[in-house]
Amino acid sequence: MIKLDPNVHPTLPNLQPSPAQAENAGAPKSDFLNAIEAAGRYVSKVDDLQQTADASIQDLLTGKNNDITAVVSAVAKADVSFKVLVGVRNKLIEAYKQTMNMPL
Amino acid sequence: MKVHNVFGPVDIAVSGMRAQGQNMEVISSNIANARTADAGQGQPYRRLETILRTQAEGISPVLVDEVLPDQSPLQSIYDPGNPLADSSGFVAMPNVHLPVEMMNLAIASRSYQANAAILKRYQKMVETTLELLR
Repeated sequence: MIKLDPNVHPTLPNLQPSPAQAENAGAPKSDFLNAIEAAGRYVSKVDDLQQTADASIQDLLTGKNNDITAVVSAVAKADVSFKVLVGVRNKLIEAYKQTMNMPL
Repeated sequence: MKVHNVFGPVDIAVSGMRAQGQNMEVISSNIANARTADAGQGQPYRRLETILRTQAEGISPVLVDEVLPDQSPLQSIYDPGNPLADSSGFVAMPNVHLPVEMMNLAIASRSYQANAAILKRYQKMVETTLELLR
């Protein structure tokens, strides 16, 4: 059960950053670095899927494998994971740019 | 029963497409051999049937378990001029009935389309989710 306080006024004066937020602000660099490193770790996994898709296409074209559905599956998986990676990367770069363009 | 695999629908839909493709192969063999009076050992061709099963219990891809011969009686046609005819002029012919095969073909191709549609729709769903990232 969520406890709802119908009285909003007591919450309004607390608009200053909470202790947790202030703590995060103290070490934003390492957090951002962690995010980038996490994305970097996934690059190799996404690359693995791409390699699998590539190999299955090659197997089909060279006649080693006649299963066209395996190619469809491998390519679909590689496509989705690559799109996720690109989406995360774009978000990270956007965040970096926004931070860098912040007028000081 | 757990449902947590992002690629689960892809695998299952692809397995359905693969199974229906193999089913189509069996049907095409039946149709091609509808008039094959000698399929080795002097016996006429027997109609083949695909048996599908799930890979595991519960949510699971589909597999072609076995391809078994149809044991229904063979057709016997009167063709005295045929070198394979018996003393009374009858030739044993495969128990393949083309209308039945055409029906099975329609079912197989519709089923293949349905699986492909699921794959396409799922990819669209994932793309919609990824749109939120932009």
